[in-house]
Amino acid sequence: MSASILNDAPVQGIAAVPASLAEASRRAHISLAVMVGCVLLIGIAVPWLANAYWIKTLTSSLALSIAAAGVALLYGQLGLVSLCQYALLGAGGWIALRAGHGLGWPFELSVLAGGLLSCAVGMLAGLPALRLKGLYLALVTMMMAGGFQVVINVMGFPDGGAGWLGRVFGSERLMMPRPALALSDAAYFRYVAVWLAAMLALIELHRRTRAGRSWALIRRGEAAAVAAGVNILRYQTWAFGLAGFCAGVAGALLAGGVGQLDGRAFTAGDSVMLFALTVVGGVYHWAGALIAGLLLRAVPALLTDFGVNGYLAMIFFGVALLHALITAPSGIAGQLAGAFDAVRKRFARGGKEAGP
Amino acid sequence: MEDYLPFVISGLGLGAVYALSGVGLVVLYRSSGVLNFAFGAIGALGAYVAWSLLEADWPQGLAWCAAIVASMLLSLAYGRLLAPRLSHRDPTIRSIATLGFALVVVGFTEWYWGEQPRRLVLPTDAGAIDFVLGEVEVRLTHTRALGLALAVLMMGGVGLLLSKTRVGLKMRALANDRDLSALLGIRVLGVDTVAWVLSGAFAGVCGLLLANIVRLQATLLTFLVIPAFAAAIIGRLHSLPATVAGGIAIGVLEALAITVPGFAAFRTATPFLIALAMIVFFRTGTRQA
Repeated sequence: MSASILNDAPVQGIAAVPASLAEASRRAHISLAVMVGCVLLIGIAVPWLANAYWIKTLTSSLALSIAAAGVALLYGQLGLVSLCQYALLGAGGWIALRAGHGLGWPFELSVLAGGLLSCAVGMLAGLPALRLKGLYLALVTMMMAGGFQVVINVMGFPDGGAGWLGRVFGSERLMMPRPALALSDAAYFRYVAVWLAAMLALIELHRRTRAGRSWALIRRGEAAAVAAGVNILRYQTWAFGLAGFCAGVAGALLAGGVGQLDGRAFTAGDSVMLFALTVVGGVYHWAGALIAGLLLRAVPALLTDFGVNGYLAMIFFGVALLHALITAPSGIAGQLAGAFDAVRKRFARGGKEAGP
Repeated sequence: MEDYLPFVISGLGLGAVYALSGVGLVVLYRSSGVLNFAFGAIGALGAYVAWSLLEADWPQGLAWCAAIVASMLLSLAYGRLLAPRLSHRDPTIRSIATLGFALVVVGFTEWYWGEQPRRLVLPTDAGAIDFVLGEVEVRLTHTRALGLALAVLMMGGVGLLLSKTRVGLKMRALANDRDLSALLGIRVLGVDTVAWVLSGAFAGVCGLLLANIVRLQATLLTFLVIPAFAAAIIGRLHSLPATVAGGIAIGVLEALAITVPGFAAFRTATPFLIALAMIVFFRTGTRQA
């Protein structure tokens, strides 16, 4: 008697599993479509609404969002603090400029070259992380960012000159040509938005497949991951490579937007800022990367418009980082998503109560 | 050898400051488990306070003391008000949070005092010790000599504090296991206070010395202590003598790098290279942090 009761419940439960799996998969597809749709919508809407100055600023914001998505991947999925992503962005930009000027590659190929090099460097930077967890990884990557700052300050970025470094001396610096598809500022903004949507989708697809499940297990604990048969070396290096690829693509797109890059603009402080604002934006939601990009470029530009001292923004960012770490681990994006959900639930409940 | 001696001597001054900063970082890390990324910013604010007071014609000694006290108070404020809110999180988060504090302090300093770079002039700049080693005449300004002496003295003092006193014992207990120490009746907040104040004092002294040797600019000073992190890494965030030796070695090697053809422009990368090499090649015992 009791056996039949005991048996019934699991049978019903198992019967419900395929349905709930299908439901979950449907939701996942919808949220992916919403994400790509939102980014593309931004890409179409902003060139209509904004003036030339804001289009340029927001182009940099979107490009930096790609790098922020990489930082969020490492910190949000694996709990790894990498403080050298802005340096990787510089490395990607360097390669893209070098390939664009020196070899005359098409723009997309230059972007991919920048992304792949940063991917390789990111994987190398991630190797010590297999042995060194937590704080030591933050320190190692900070040392790398510091080293890159010195090197790029001396070398500078290629600007159409001869030789291996590709530097111009004595004459005017050349601009990197934009892709034939996107010569105007507005078109280039749309072009960057498409790249951002593609990169966010790439990360999201990773999260939903074997790689994402392995990352979740590694974050739980290495012993658990090994016991479940996860190859830690492969998947952790993979995450670093993907984050590096994001940074490299971002650097190449930044270089394409402005036409050249400044060797003094890639300090260890910028890497710290990128990490801090990504955490403030939110590392568990794709919108966090967009918010981080806005905080990095658009908010300082807005403050300059209002005549507010830029260092006050720095104080605000510092407070925001402390706030995010202490009380709001999911960042602004998480808080917005929570508020959105609460409002939707309220409406749904209100509708049900009113309905019958 | 004689050609290199002047570089070695000039490197000793900066190396001493790196060593001093490294000790300040390690002391705090050992007792509270926080690696303070805001160390340089706290020191810079102290140095600005000294600069302002000197402009207002305060006596030298008083201005220095005020600078160190300002740094101590700032460090204490963070340690008592914000750090406890994160005390249950893992060490990485607790350390990363100090980056937020660093941004606040640097932002405030640059906003309040303005961007133009200054240099803090100390009365010890005027005098110098001249001595002859072999056939080379060497000149060591009193400021650099003072920095070197302070590094050795403060390291010795802190070493004694940790190994011989009651507070030191409690600090070591806290570093070992915070929860267990609390169960044993150690007043965690009290010991934390001592550690943060001590670390703030180190930051203040380093800020004064760096503002004099390099220049007084908050962003620069904040990131100038990155070599001190390298020194702390050499000491594996634990050993004070190794940290001091590491700091001085980094300073000297950085100065010597000027003499290497082709590398001179890249010489400020020396500390990072040394730290990376140390982490990659001598990583036994560095895993648990």
